[in-house]
Order: sequence, then C-alpha cells, then structure tokens
Amino acid sequence: MLPAPFTPQFLSQLETLRLRTRKEFLGGQTGTYSSPRRGTSLEFADYRRYSPGDDLRYLDWGIYARSDRLYVKLFREEVDLFAYIFVDASASMAFPSPKEKFLPASHIAAALSYVVLANHDHVKLHLLGSSLTQAASPFYRGRRRITDCIQFMASISPAGPLELAPVLAEHLKTLRRPGKAILISDFLMPAPSYQQGLNLLRGFNLDIAVIQVLTRQEVDPPFSNGGLNIVDSETHAEVRFQWDAGARQEYQTRLAQHNSQIRSFCHQSGIHYSIYITDLELDDFVFATLPAIGLFK
Amino acid sequence: MEFLNPTALYGLLALPLLLIPYLVRRKPRRVIFSSLLLFTEPALRAGGKPMGRPHLPPIFFLQLLLLAVLILALGEPVFSVRTSHIAVVLDNSASMQALEDQQTRFALAREKALGLFADLGATGKVDLYLTVPRLEKVRGTNLGPAEAAGILGALEPADLPDAPIDYQSILGQLAKEQKYDRVFLISDHPASGQGDILRVVTVGQPRENFAISSFNIAHSSLVGSGLEATIEVANFSTKDARIRVALRGSGGVIANRELSVAAGKTARATFTGFPAHPYYQAEIDLRDPLPLDNRRFAVPPAAQNFRILGISPRPQALTSLRAITGVTLDLITPQEYEKTERSGYGLEIFHYSTPPVAPANPALFVLPPDNNPLAELAPPVSRPVISSWREPHPLTRYVNFALLRPAFSRPLKPRIAGETILESPGGPLAFAAERGGVRQLVLGFDIFPYLGRENLPVSVFTLNLLDWFFHGSGVKGRATGEPLTFGSAAQQGNFLLTPREDKIRLNPGSNSFPSTYFQGIYQLHRGTQRELFAVNFNSQSESDLRQPTPIELRDLSRGGNQVSGLFSIWPYLLLLSMLLFLLEWFVNPRRLSHRLPAGVTRGA
Repeated sequence: MLPAPFTPQFLSQLETLRLRTRKEFLGGQTGTYSSPRRGTSLEFADYRRYSPGDDLRYLDWGIYARSDRLYVKLFREEVDLFAYIFVDASASMAFPSPKEKFLPASHIAAALSYVVLANHDHVKLHLLGSSLTQAASPFYRGRRRITDCIQFMASISPAGPLELAPVLAEHLKTLRRPGKAILISDFLMPAPSYQQGLNLLRGFNLDIAVIQVLTRQEVDPPFSNGGLNIVDSETHAEVRFQWDAGARQEYQTRLAQHNSQIRSFCHQSGIHYSIYITDLELDDFVFATLPAIGLFK
Repeated sequence: MEFLNPTALYGLLALPLLLIPYLVRRKPRRVIFSSLLLFTEPALRAGGKPMGRPHLPPIFFLQLLLLAVLILALGEPVFSVRTSHIAVVLDNSASMQALEDQQTRFALAREKALGLFADLGATGKVDLYLTVPRLEKVRGTNLGPAEAAGILGALEPADLPDAPIDYQSILGQLAKEQKYDRVFLISDHPASGQGDILRVVTVGQPRENFAISSFNIAHSSLVGSGLEATIEVANFSTKDARIRVALRGSGGVIANRELSVAAGKTARATFTGFPAHPYYQAEIDLRDPLPLDNRRFAVPPAAQNFRILGISPRPQALTSLRAITGVTLDLITPQEYEKTERSGYGLEIFHYSTPPVAPANPALFVLPPDNNPLAELAPPVSRPVISSWREPHPLTRYVNFALLRPAFSRPLKPRIAGETILESPGGPLAFAAERGGVRQLVLGFDIFPYLGRENLPVSVFTLNLLDWFFHGSGVKGRATGEPLTFGSAAQQGNFLLTPREDKIRLNPGSNSFPSTYFQGIYQLHRGTQRELFAVNFNSQSESDLRQPTPIELRDLSRGGNQVSGLFSIWPYLLLLSMLLFLLEWFVNPRRLSHRLPAGVTRGA
C-alpha cells in the first residue's frame, strides 16, 4: 500500500513525465536517452565514407547517384538513464517535525524515482547525513520497485549534522556511471558548503538538479516578541537575541538573499533549481513547477 | 472633577505591574530551530546582555495609556456643573453616638455637612433632614448655608435604631419632587452604587463594642416577696472579655459582679436579695465606642400578688384558684368583659370563651368556643392519653403525664403560629404562642376546678402554667421609639417628666406618649401619684458596630429637561479605552489562529 499522495491517478500522471537531461551519457542498455555514441536509433547523426564491411542497408543511394561516391548514414545511439537522488537526512530536515519537512522531501524523491522507473531507467537513492554516509539504496528498475524506494526512504529518520561536500564525496566514490543527479535539501548551510558539494557533483559529469525544501515555519518563524535563545537543531549551538517585528523582517530578508544566492549559483553552474515550501500541494509542485524549470520533458 | 467610585483609582497603583510581562520577556525563551545560519548575523543579535535597560516598545506605552484610561473610567469621574439646591440627610440613629477619636460620629457628620455648605457658596439653598424616628425635614425649607449651619449645631442623635428606610426610593423620590441638584446622606453605613445625584458620605469605622442586651426585674417566684434582677451582656468583638456588671438602685450601686463574655456571645448575671427601689439601673464598666448601650433601666413590678382575671360562663369553676398562695382572682362573665378595666392583670383566663379582640394581657384559653380565632377544635375525646410533650419546658416539668388523664378533651388544630406543648393521638392538646410579646396558651382540656393534692398531675400542670405566665408578665421595659401607654387616660394637670428633665403636659384624655426618643426613666405625674416607666435603647444591630449594613443605591435618571448637577465623563473615557484597545490590537496582533509547531518550545 503506497502512502497518501501516491494515488493511482497521481502515479498515472507521473507516468506521462520523463526526466530531461542536458548531457549525453554512455548508457548500459538500449533506452530512450541519447548517447554520444553512434547507434541504431532512428535519429540521424552523420555521414561516413563507406568502407568494406559496412551494412549496405545504411548506404545513402541518393548521394551515390549525385556524386558517384558511397556514403553510409550514421544514427545516434539511445541508451538508458542512471538517476541518482540525494536526499538531505540531517537533523534540520526534522524541523519542526519529520512529518512536516523530511516526509514531503521523501515524497518528492519518490515521485521523481517513479518517473525514472516508469521509463525503465535506473534510480538510486542516497540519504545524506553524518552517520549515514553509506546510506544508499541499490539501483532500482521497473515501476514495481517504487515500493522499495518508499520503504527505503521511510526506513531512516533524519538526525545529526551534515557537511555536504565530504558526505557527497563519500557517496560519489561508489558511482560508476554518469547520469542525472537530483539533490533535495533545505540548503540551510553556508554558501561555500553547498557550492563545494555541487561542484563535486559537477566534477563527476552529472546532470544536476537541485530542489530546496523549506517549511512555512522557516519562512516565517512563529516566535512571539521578546528575548529568545535559539538552539540549532544540528549543532545545538545557541544564540540569544531580541525577536520583534524588525528582527522578523530582517530574517526574511536574509532568507530571501540566501535563496537568491543558491539560485544564482545554480544558474551559473547549469543546474536546475527549484524551491518547495512544504505546506503547498505536492501535485502542483511536481506537475507545474518542476516542468517549468525544465526538469521534465 | 470628582470621582463617584474613588476606590477604583487604587487600580492606578497596580499599573506598574504592566512592566512585569515585559521584564519577564527579557528572560529569553529557549526555542529549537532548524539552523542558526540566518540568526548569526550581527544585525539580528540583540539583547544579549542579561541585565540592562528594559526594552520597552512603544506598544507598552499604548497599553499603559489604555489601562490608565480604563481605570479612570471605572472611577466614574464627573464634573460639577451646578449645585445650587441640595438636601442633606443626617443619620441621627443611636449608632451615630459612637465615638471616633474623642468625637462622636454625629459630630463628624456635622463637620461633613458644614463642608458641603461651604462648597455650596452663599447663594446655595439647603434642606436638612433627619432619618429617625422617621425621615423628615428639619424646620424650614430653602435654608441659606449660614442658617443651615446654625440649625445643624442644635441637632443631636436620638437613642433610636435606624428607621427601616429604602434610601434608594425615598431619596430618589425626594430628589425628584423637591428638584434637588444633589441629595447627600451622611451616615455611618457604607454605600455602594452611588449616582450623580444621590451621594452617601460615610463617617466612622467598624468598631468593637459591648452592650447590655437585656435587663429585667421581677419577683423571684409566685409566692416569694424578693426581687430578682437579670442582666444580659453581649460581646460584639472578636475577643473574649471580662466585664464588671453593676446593679444600681436609685443612683447608688447595690451589687456588682464580673462576667466572662466570649467573643460574639452573650452572658447573663442574676442578682437576688437586694432592697426595693423605685427603679434600677444596670451598668457595665467599660470604655467602648458606644456608651449608650452600656446602661439600662428597669422598674420593679408594682405588686407582689399575681392578679388574674377569670372570664367564664361558669365562674364558680375558677374560684378554686384562690386556694393558691400569691394569686388574686377576679371573676367576670364574658358579657362583662368589655366593661371591665383590665390593666394590672398578669393573666386573663378565658374559660369556654374568647374575647372579641386579642387581649393586651397574657391569656389562657381553656376549651375556647368553636368560632375562636386561635384554634379549630376537633370532636370531643373522652379520657385522652398524652402521647408526647415538649421537654424540657417550664410547662411540663414535674408532671407525670402517664397519670394526667383529663376526663374530656377536644384536640386542637392551631390557626396561629405557636409551639405544641402537649399532644394526644388525636392532635395537640396544648399549644403556646407569643403575640406582640404577650404569652398565650390554648388548652384543649379543662384544668378546673383546681383540686390541689387530690389531682396532682393536673395541679402541678396548673401551677406550672401560672408560674410560666407570672414570669412572662414581669414589668417589661419598653424600647425607645415605642409609645408609652398609661393604665388610665390622663387628666387635667397630669404631666410626664422625660429622662432629660423635660416636663411635658399631657392632654386630658390621652393615654399614651409616643415620643420616647431617649433612654431612661419617664415619670408620669398624676397629682401626688407618680408612675415610672423604663425605656431602653434596644437594638442589637445598632450596638454591633463591626459590620454596618451597606446602603445600596443606584443612579437616578432624571427628566429630560432637568439638568443634572454632575456631568459624567466616564462613558467617554470608556469609549476612548475601547478605541485604544482596538488600536493596540491592530498594532500588536495576537496570533490566535497561528498553530505553534510541535518542534517549537515556549519558555525555558
């Protein structure tokens, strides 16, 4: 039994989507994504001078008639896709509760996984956390494996601090094939930290997409005015300050600047970027926002 | 500007309490958040120092203003517009004689009244009223302040309890009819709900007091010649006290005793074997706020013999009573009753008869006729059994009711409130009542003739009831305010000497004197004869100075064309406070609908 948002209607809508890649990868098997290799698909790629042994079916007889030279037509090879979905499982993803932040994030991951699985491609889930450096699923293929994806996501509770770049580096050590990488996180970390992480992914020649997940409480903190001792959910560090309308406005300005910085970096690095506030509808995000940023074909 | 409810202004003292929430808020609350990334910027860090100047936002001053305006509104501020014609009602009841730091409450009230006159100005008009014996105006109307002050100096409190006055309606009616701008009641009672026209000025504070609550002189028994004095002392304080009680005869002390009286209780002292005097005085030796109730007067019974008037269609049955020592019996038929002079009788025995009107003397009704107003009589029963009797009771002591078997009885169904003394299976056979302080006993069986030792149970019961009537018929002191009634009408030259030595000539034919406003001995002079009456101040509610009953007043709504003496501004202040509240609400909205997330903990 699949959890609430994964209704038959939702799944059938997901089946109509297909991940879009901006890079060509060397796939393992025949698929629907173009490869830099020449192959046997229907998509024309180039001409080459005939050499003995070439299949005569690919001779372009029109050119031979005009130029009395023999050329064979070359076609693109279409291969399957390997998708890697990285989900932030640090303690900050459990704020204000796992149900309100980590669960929506895992639902997005599961929905993207189903899109990949429905196209007979491969998907692998990675959970990023301090004690979860090696928490990665095997490759799944076939739409029935969506239950395995969901069970894998549900098997882990977010906890601990996260240093994005080192943890990602650990996960990338096991990566053998390039493909599509989707990173789901709240990105409440210093800019150098997430930039290093994303550059690592870029270094592995992955086509990257980033989904930032925030809760409404993070966008508009519900503190009443007065002195506050704020405790970091990951590091347990404390900071004391006076909270009032001015502080609230200042916080929101800084959050907007932070998000803008992420968006700008992603844009410069050729990374798809989108933000999801968890009190919004998942359907709207998956079927309207993500296609709009070009994540789906 | 003045305040109708100045007590509310004490609320201003509580205004600094508003600082508390702001000071408490300075102690930071601990909350968990996903990340401190956006909180660590220097611009957001503030209030890090545990001590320092309190951070008071502008909303604090708005809230302060709101509360101050609200408290001022609760104080019911009014502006005096015009006070040219006022009424001053002075409480002159006995409790106004209580001392407050060497001055009586009445003297304090007089000073307050003079203050009111001074505020009035030279052109103002005053009407003076006193509350007891009834609310009535003193002398002329529309007095000038100087004239009213002169009259005020001659007024003094009476030895009377508070008159039962509904101040709200009476003073309200007075204000409307006489068109007073304001009516001031100066009393020792606190008041609530004062309006802009009716105002109460309270003088005095709650006090602890002691009083003689009862003083009685009677013959010690039916056959004895000695007198017995009973003095009851009440303690209206919160602590036990030892009080010396003295009995005086014609001025000199003839006996005294020390009594221990528990807080809030009474104690009684009995004196016997003292010489005869024309009148007696009981005193307690104390310095308490109200000296008036520290003494009482009593006059001994005029004659030793117990005088009985027998009224019977068969008078010979009652003649047997003459066999009892100390009893003087006069017998008449029911037809002669109206024409007979009945004063001086300690008991009237109605044998198979009833009077046309209730008798003024104590009365015994033996088998009254069917149409009597006292009890309905059931069908006759022969030799009834006494199934129950009230015990202990002076009427039933020493009686063996197993042997008391009247030959004939008619059970009673009382028509008046009383106490059943004897009961048979068929209903009550004797019940006692007290009407206007006079004892009455109704019997459903005949106790006559008195057979002495030949029928001991009935004889003992007869002696009991005579003794009961005898003790109930002692010369009772009258309370101040009650009229004195004389045995016979006054004649030319008769006069009454009051305790204040005022000589009052009585109109020929008059048989009462109503103006007993002062405690003491009143002397009725009929030529060479002199009759004494003891009149005592007798009001426990006045003597108890601890918790005077508050006077409930409401505001008066006057006619549209009449201008109130006061202009109320509190409704406008209330409106202003509501506007400030709305402003405060919008400026500082409460997030009532915002559900706090589970991860956020409030407070440390």
